Formats: sequence, structure tokens, C-alpha cells
Amino acid sequence: MIKFENVGKVYPNGFEGLKDINLEIEQGEFVAIIGLSGAGKSTLIRTINRMHDVTSGKLTVDGVDVMSLSGKTLRRFRRKIGMIFQSFNLITRTTVIKNVLTAFVPDMPWYRSAFGIYTKEEKIKALECLDKVGILDKAFVRADQLSGGQQQRVALARTLAQNPQIILADEPVAALDPVTANQVMGDFKRINEDMNITILINIHHIDLALKYANRVIGIREGKIVFDGPAKGTQWDEVLDNIYVGKVDREGNLQEEG
Amino acid sequence: MNLTFYDKIFKPREYVLPNGKKAYKKASRAPIYAILILAMSALSVKITGFDMEVLVSRIGQFFVILGEMFPPNADYMPKIWEPLFDTIKMSLLGSVVGALLSVPFAMLASTNVCPSKIIVSVMRVMFSLIRTLPTIVIALVATLVFGLGTLAGTVAIAVFSFGYIGKLTYEEIETVDMGAFEAMQAMGATRSEAFISAIVPQVLPFYLSNCLFNFEGNVRYAAVLGYVGAGGIGLILNEKISWREYPSVGMILVALFVTVFIIETVSRALRKKLV
Repeated sequence: MIKFENVGKVYPNGFEGLKDINLEIEQGEFVAIIGLSGAGKSTLIRTINRMHDVTSGKLTVDGVDVMSLSGKTLRRFRRKIGMIFQSFNLITRTTVIKNVLTAFVPDMPWYRSAFGIYTKEEKIKALECLDKVGILDKAFVRADQLSGGQQQRVALARTLAQNPQIILADEPVAALDPVTANQVMGDFKRINEDMNITILINIHHIDLALKYANRVIGIREGKIVFDGPAKGTQWDEVLDNIYVGKVDREGNLQEEG
Repeated sequence: MNLTFYDKIFKPREYVLPNGKKAYKKASRAPIYAILILAMSALSVKITGFDMEVLVSRIGQFFVILGEMFPPNADYMPKIWEPLFDTIKMSLLGSVVGALLSVPFAMLASTNVCPSKIIVSVMRVMFSLIRTLPTIVIALVATLVFGLGTLAGTVAIAVFSFGYIGKLTYEEIETVDMGAFEAMQAMGATRSEAFISAIVPQVLPFYLSNCLFNFEGNVRYAAVLGYVGAGGIGLILNEKISWREYPSVGMILVALFVTVFIIETVSRALRKKLV
């Protein structure tokens, strides 16, 4: 369980990224976080694996105070949290399977990672993860030769290879076309349901958020302004609040004035 | 639109669209730079005492000496082999040692890998200092420390390679896509694990290519190092020029030319495959 208690985050330049966040997310939930760019969606997600520090309040994951971790304990903690990025963050100059195999690097002695020596078991496990996201046939292709959707799936396979309990996804479909975006969201949904992995996803596509997530959190200027189920909510008013009256339910911008 | 003093003299070009809207393209700044460069060149002619008359009247001597080198003295060839191979050995060993040593320091000089700004600046100053020292000066110092011979030459080339490859490598590391590095850290990898897995594969081809290019150049540098007694082909080149044995000098130059040509051709072919 992820629990935010009065969490705040002030950047060194004085900007308040998060204000008084209170949130409880149970294991196995699929949560979409929506809001304008700069509202604090990324900051919120990145505090969970401590890629960003919180500056006030308490953030616990499975009872562990995230801010109490450092060095080795922090790295071990991060092992159970996967992260997916908008720009995939793959090693483009190398093959797909090698990208997935990097998930094992933190548990390996340095000389094996330095020379890229992986055991047969590790390779089979990496291939299984690629199979789970349906791109087993691309295993030995260079990562930069794949389409955006395929690259995001490689990233997803890499994350699965570390056996996470939680996956944090920072705008995973923002760089993808609508059809591919739907497929990737479908992958997330399947992983969420089949493996009971908690998924937190930042997303700009409101339609995708409502279609795939169970719970939607709306953020505006660092504050949670909505938190409720994806189904059965009166969206027009809620979206009006989250997006400060600029967007309708289909995600179209409203003409001002 | 912001108009500077320059724009007020040289008016921006105006484009008018059919609907009456306008776009402006500011006048080029190139003339300023052209005038600056011309002025600096004129100044350097004055300072260096460059004299066209001397150049024209003495240029003939160059061709006289060149003419005396032909035909090269082929009988001298057996005596060239050893210093020639010394030169190649010096440059190869020096290049490899310098390039390998430079890697950890290049890591510490990259802002995206090394978190401490102080270490980064210290490393960069060190690299700049080393590159400021001309190789021939390092060789001269090395002969004083290690005595005359190829060891001094090897050290000089290693020091030069260290500075040269180090600078190119840290600049390469800084242009790398940090996404994969971030992903590795988010997975619980240490900075060094993330460096090895995410940055090395991106930098390695350029690093190897730079190493080859450096080696190529070092063969030429190494040829000169003999002048200060640091071993290699420069030793006999210096000797034969002082004795005015131009046909032998010609032979040395031909041997050097062929060697450099072969090394450059092989290196270029390899580098093409790398990048």
C-alpha cells in the first residue's frame, strides 16, 4: 500500500510542486493521474520511488517511510518498483534482449555487468518478459529499429523482469499514436489484472484514462482536486475543475470567451 | 521584435503575407566577423614580420633541397627499419596506455555522471593543462626523467593521449541520452552500474574511433620526438639532416610516408565500421 500523509514538496528554487497530498493506494489498483502540464503529476509519481524527495509530511510504501531510505536500502527498495517513461529510456544502440537484461544488473557482480555476461536462466526470464508483452520475435533486433509502441513494450518487459509490485508510468503513451497508445494501455491493464501489480499512470488522454483505469486522481497546481472511480462520475464538472475550464470530456480544448 | 543598434543601421528584411501580417528576418551578422578576421590577419602580418619578398626569393631553395632527396638512397633502408618500428611501438603503447587511463578521469569530468561540481572542474582544469603542454616539451622532460630512448617517447605520447582522449570522451559522455541512465537508477542500480550498462554502450564506438584517430596522429608526432632524444625515427632524421645526407633523408621520409599512409587507411576503414 502506498500512503501519502500531508505530503508537500518544495523545490530548491522555492516552487511548490506538491501541497498537502493525502492519498491511499491499495495493492493491485490501476490509478490514472490527470492534470495540466506542470500541475505536479510527474512530481507525485517520482516521489514514490524517491527519484524526487518530499520536503514535508510522510510517504510510506508497505509501511516503509520512503524518506528514511538511503544508499543500499533505497536501491533495494527501488527494485520492487518499476518505472516507465514517456521517451522509453532504452539503450538504443543495443539489442532488445540486452535492454531487458539490464533489469538484472543491480543484483549481479560488477564484472558480469561490465562484460555483459548473463546466465541462461536470466536470458530465458528476459525472453519470457518479452513474450508477455508480445514482442518475443524482436528479441535480437536493435532497440532503435523498433517503432515507438514496440519500444515502450520493451521498456515494459524490462520493468516486468525486475518483478515489481508497483509500476509507475510517467506519460507512457504521450509519444504514441492513438492506436498504439490503446494497445500499450491494454498491456498495462492486462499486467495489472493478471499479476496484481499496482499501476500509477500519468496521462494526458482523458478518454484512455477513463477507459482503462479503475480510479482517477486529478491534480491542479500541486493539489489533489479529484479522487474517485473512473466509472459513474459526472465528468464534465470534474474536468472543468481539474483543467481550470479549458477541456471537455473528449479532451478538446474549449474556445475561450 | 527587439531591435539592437546593428538592426537599426542594417534594416531587417520584411516579408508581407497576403493577409497583411508581417514576418521579419534580421540582417546577417557575418560582415562584422569578416571585418574582424581581416583586421586580425593584417595585425598578425605586422607583428610576425611576414615578408613576401623573402618568401618569393628563397622559395627556390626548398625545391633545391627537395631535389637532392631524389632519388632516395635505397641502401640506407636496412638502417631505417629499427627506428621506424620503435616509432610505431612508442605510439601504439603510448596511445593505448593514455586512452585507458583517461576513462575514469573522463567520467569524473562529466557533469551528468559526477555529482560533485568541484571534482568536475578540477578534472577539467587538469585535462586542459595537460593539453596545453606541447608533446615535444613533455618528451623533453621525460628524457630528463627516464633517460634518452623510447621509454621517454612512450610516456610523452601516453600523456598527450590521456589529455586528448579524456577531453573527447567526457564531451561525448555529456551528449549521451541520459534516459537509460535514469531508468537504471529507478530500477535500483548504483551510479557505476548505471554508467556501465546505460552509458558505455552509447559512448564506446566513439571512444574507440577517437582512439584510432589519436593513434594515427601519434605516429606522426612520434616521428618528431627523436629530435629531443626520445627515440624513434626522428633520431636518425635529425642526424641525416644535420649531415646534409639528403638522399638518406629522402628514404626516411618515403618510409615514414608509406607507414603513415597504411596506418591511416586501416584506421579510416575501421572507424567507418564503428560509427
